[in-house]
Amino acid sequence: MAADGSSRAALEDFIIHEARLLDARRFRDWMALFADDGTYWVPAVPDQKSPFDQASLFYDDRDLMKTRVERLEHPRIHVQTPPSRTAHLIGNVVVEESDQAKGEYVVGSTLIVAEYRDDAQRIFAGRQRHHLRRHGETFRIVQKRVDLINCDGAFEAVAVPI
Amino acid sequence: MRNGHAEEIGKLIEPGRVHRRVYTDPDLFDLEMERIFGRAWLFVGHTSQVPNPGDFITTDLGRQPVIMVRHRDGSVQVLLNRCTHRGAKVVNERRGHAPRLTCCYHGWTFDTDGRLMTVPVPEGCAENFDKDAFGLARAPRVGEYRGFVFASLAPKGQNFEDHIGPVKGNIDDLVDRAPDGALALDAGMHRYVYNGNWKLQVENVLDSYHVPFGHASTVNKDGVQFARREGDQKGAMVVETEKKQTAASWKDRKSFIAGNGHGWTSNTTLDDGKRSSPAFDEYKKVLAEKVGAERANDILTPRLHNSLIYPNMSIMGLNIHVRVIKPIAVDRTEVTIYPIRLVGAPEAMNFGNIRLLNVTHSAASFVQTDDLESFVRAQKGLQSTMTDWVDISRGLGAEEPDRERNATRELATHEMVVRAQYKAWLGYMHEAA
Repeated sequence: MAADGSSRAALEDFIIHEARLLDARRFRDWMALFADDGTYWVPAVPDQKSPFDQASLFYDDRDLMKTRVERLEHPRIHVQTPPSRTAHLIGNVVVEESDQAKGEYVVGSTLIVAEYRDDAQRIFAGRQRHHLRRHGETFRIVQKRVDLINCDGAFEAVAVPI
Repeated sequence: MRNGHAEEIGKLIEPGRVHRRVYTDPDLFDLEMERIFGRAWLFVGHTSQVPNPGDFITTDLGRQPVIMVRHRDGSVQVLLNRCTHRGAKVVNERRGHAPRLTCCYHGWTFDTDGRLMTVPVPEGCAENFDKDAFGLARAPRVGEYRGFVFASLAPKGQNFEDHIGPVKGNIDDLVDRAPDGALALDAGMHRYVYNGNWKLQVENVLDSYHVPFGHASTVNKDGVQFARREGDQKGAMVVETEKKQTAASWKDRKSFIAGNGHGWTSNTTLDDGKRSSPAFDEYKKVLAEKVGAERANDILTPRLHNSLIYPNMSIMGLNIHVRVIKPIAVDRTEVTIYPIRLVGAPEAMNFGNIRLLNVTHSAASFVQTDDLESFVRAQKGLQSTMTDWVDISRGLGAEEPDRERNATRELATHEMVVRAQYKAWLGYMHEAA
């Protein structure tokens, strides 16, 4: 147990909570988990060094995230008619870095997401890393990075965050 | 249809309408691969993707797997990616570097100009075996304009200059934006696929009619789209919400055709006077230092939204990228979108372009996803045999000459560009290979 209560269990609970908000399509609540300087990144090449000089599947700061969420709430988002249903499974959770003084943590985990929409089901799989910052009794996401095993593959439309 | 009699193909295209089989008939798709992708000038890649000898990318031209590779003499070669021995694909990576190209199966090794160099266990070769006759096949014709490499798989046909001529200005419009006068397609790529015919994507790139409805979810309550260019505070006015109709500035956009199936649309109206950000301002300064303030202003005056270089690529002038359309099957298409790095521009400007392209054209973007949904639904709807025809008649007869570009012009919410694509389509399809 970490001195400030940031135990492995608390960190794991937090990233499971984050995934459950996506599965519940509570996108606005999901966005609220990010720090003001938080980013959501899904690279488009393995081991991508930077989002700045290469294309990414997603690289949203809070402004872009807000546009994304507003669009997901829009009644005429055709690619969500019908909406996606997702189920996230998170395992192999490891606290990779822990800075108690600053209240910053990096949590790695393995992710499998099943998505069903319009009579078709598909699977996303990969490793994810959450860079978290302590925020009162909970955390804020400084960066969520998802490295899909097929990140450089060709995708059918991806309408909801992974 | 299998024989592709000209008369029968001609019946599929009428003024203002196209038969559904053009999108759904697998035999017609086979014929397209032979007659269009087997001989048209197709975009292969950009020279910046293979800067050094031995650098290569692989792609497909229709059904032909090819390697675009830089040879020692500096030339860019377009080679068929098929071993001349037993047919295996020689290069299996999408891009990379190799001083020689070696087949994985029996180790036949080719030079980067396709020449067969070595064969393992040469004493087993037939007595009259001639290595020179076993080089990798080459695309019979290769052409390049300002780094954009095109190839034709037919030894004869329209020459490259006549093909690219009408749209050289559209390529210039993009390349001239780079302070060093060169582009680099080295910032990765977006790749998406959909269960629909390739022409659905080709038709869509110049379709301004679909935006207010198809992309309604990208437009805010004031009818304005999100900002898509570095330095813009907001995007284009798409809908006049009070009147619940497409905005006048949107309806005023023009589309253009200039032969060969090519076409383009005029720029999206944005408040360019207010375009400003640290990255954009610095970029503008750097460009002006290179080419002079007047020329820089001219270069930065938007003229083009999308340009289609028929049949397989487009260039976007708004949030800049190159798009390559690859037919897989009659109802399956893969598209690659390359972000563009303006060589000599501040990195922050290039990052701005890359970042905004993520949200407009990645497989997870705000814009492209709704287009993909429309393509998929079009393919599903076109399965219906109860209605034969697809309507492309908007603005039929309203075309007018545009002397400035030696082109033909019409409102961009009309369908002249699609009709022009089918005119080119018929031109290729009519003629037996």
